[in-house]
Amino acid sequence: MPIFDQGYQHWDGRLRGQASRIGVITARGIRVQLRNRWVRWILVASLGPAFLLSIFLIIWGLFETKSTLLTPFFVLFQNLPEELKAGPKGYRGAIWTLAVRQFFEAQLFFSMVLVLLVGPDLISQDLRFNALPLYLSRPVRRFEYFLGKLGVIAVFLGATTILPVLLAFLLGFGFSLDPTVVRDTGRLFLGSIAFGLVVVGSAGLLMLAFSSLSRNSRYVGATWLVFWLVGNITATILGDTVNQDWCQLTSYTQNLVRVRDSLIGADEAWDRVQRLFQAGREQFDSIARGPFNRGRRGRGPEPPSRSRRQQRSSWVQNYLAPAQYPWWWSAGVLGGIAGASILILTSRVRSLDRLD
Amino acid sequence: MLIELREVTKTYGKVTALAGLSVVLPEGAIGLLGPNGAGKTTMIRTLLGLIRIDSGGGRVLGHDLARDQLAIRRLVGFVPEDECLFPGMVGIEFAAYAGELVGMDGRDALRRAHEVLDYVGLGEARYRRVESYSTGMKQRLKIASAIVHDPRLLILDEPTNGMDPAGRDDVLELSIDLARNKGMSMLFSSHLLPDVEAVCEHVMVLGKGKLLAQGKIEDLKQPHDRQVEVRVKSDQAAFARLLRERGIEADPVDDYVLALLPLEAGTPSLWQAARDSGEQIRSLKPRRSTLEEVFLSAIKEQR
Repeated sequence: MPIFDQGYQHWDGRLRGQASRIGVITARGIRVQLRNRWVRWILVASLGPAFLLSIFLIIWGLFETKSTLLTPFFVLFQNLPEELKAGPKGYRGAIWTLAVRQFFEAQLFFSMVLVLLVGPDLISQDLRFNALPLYLSRPVRRFEYFLGKLGVIAVFLGATTILPVLLAFLLGFGFSLDPTVVRDTGRLFLGSIAFGLVVVGSAGLLMLAFSSLSRNSRYVGATWLVFWLVGNITATILGDTVNQDWCQLTSYTQNLVRVRDSLIGADEAWDRVQRLFQAGREQFDSIARGPFNRGRRGRGPEPPSRSRRQQRSSWVQNYLAPAQYPWWWSAGVLGGIAGASILILTSRVRSLDRLD
Repeated sequence: MLIELREVTKTYGKVTALAGLSVVLPEGAIGLLGPNGAGKTTMIRTLLGLIRIDSGGGRVLGHDLARDQLAIRRLVGFVPEDECLFPGMVGIEFAAYAGELVGMDGRDALRRAHEVLDYVGLGEARYRRVESYSTGMKQRLKIASAIVHDPRLLILDEPTNGMDPAGRDDVLELSIDLARNKGMSMLFSSHLLPDVEAVCEHVMVLGKGKLLAQGKIEDLKQPHDRQVEVRVKSDQAAFARLLRERGIEADPVDDYVLALLPLEAGTPSLWQAARDSGEQIRSLKPRRSTLEEVFLSAIKEQR
């Protein structure tokens, strides 16, 4: 079609407010990322733990109300301590906390994978195709550009961490039929949201910083993978050899876990449940195998030998119990990483106030 | 008034990009000329509020440079010199996204994107990924995304750089149409003087961050007292030869003869030569400087 066939019409519509720019950048980024089928698959897969958490909170609600719906499953609750069976509401907060903690354990993995899939393109492609002058010559400030890009990661991580928790809480509240549930789990609720925000802020800033370091998004993805996995491997090796508290600080996800445990009050919940099960060592072991004893039906679990029991107890302490070092160590590490990320971002994504 | 700058100074370390630049530019199409390092890009970035100036001030479309930077960017469309793209999009998304970034509603931006892509001749390619566009198409796409919100001022930074002749013609055609028929003010930065002359009515020449010359192109092209352009009916070369035989410096240029009149004789000597040779003079006018001469003389004066 030759030029000018359609002519040129003037436009006199109204422009939206300044804050809309962030939303526009975020919405565009989300649309582009959702074209990646791996992103869609991971999003669907991340619903699994959310589904399990919801089921657990529903069952717990029914258990509290001694619902007849649970009668066919009575055998599953047989091995629980009497104190728990007699007054489950007294342990509501602790049990919910440990359930949410396990949920976050799974979601942290999905979050890391999602950031790996979604994040590398965000700034590196803009640098590669020199898109910054196009953004900054429009009424978009540099921090709005960053926030818009961060929003893309925030939406994906929010969809896998914060949103499922909100829905699970709503279901839990609904099935408890007890207004005191708000009081008992209020801290957990706020802590969960806060942890979701910590993951979004920390992982988002870090990935944006990585993304600004290269014009090739594959390198960015590789850097993220190395940072994530090598940190974990290092922490494991150091933990086994040096066996000091600080060894865990070398793992990025372990730092997130430590902050999470502190925010949702997992330390207290763990102690409480541990004390509950101290009455019978076997009963305590049963929780190490899962919330419901999957031992032999109709009978209590056979007492394991002393060495097996010690082994199991040590496994529980190593892999399920919250870490014992102060949470602010990890918070400091995450804060440092966030500070370094901001520094990298501001130096790599420069304003146009410079000589070319 | 389109643009008003007062004593604007901008330095980068030891480099002075703008040295007390003061200029007032009227609405219309303005050509921005200057050699490399003259401060053209810095001036454009100043107008867009992208840089913090050391001293001075000014207004663009009535908005203060220091205070209303975002308001200025809402009223201005900018076509950068470098190849730059929003990655991972097709043409229509690209133009609509540009509109949304300015603040247009999503539906308005999409509708306008279709209109402007048709206008710049990219209607057929609107669903192709922008990375696959040719250089000329990318340039037209940049223009489309700069005018999607119907700006009052369009700034084009070296828009015909590195383009083939057909692509260059397309861009010039678009620029001329926008400036002359659509009433859009324009700042057209280029080092290709014929392009500036084709598009603009006004011109400003920058050199080492200072204003060297400014005004309407027609006014800047000074008429020469003794040099005239003579067009005769038949053979221009033969008439030039005849003039030279009579002691008048003359050379055939394109379809006319450029003659330097003798001090004492003036134009009657030309009429006399024509009568004697039986030639018919069809036009006779004093020669005016070309834009290139204006530019070179401004630069030379600064040195």
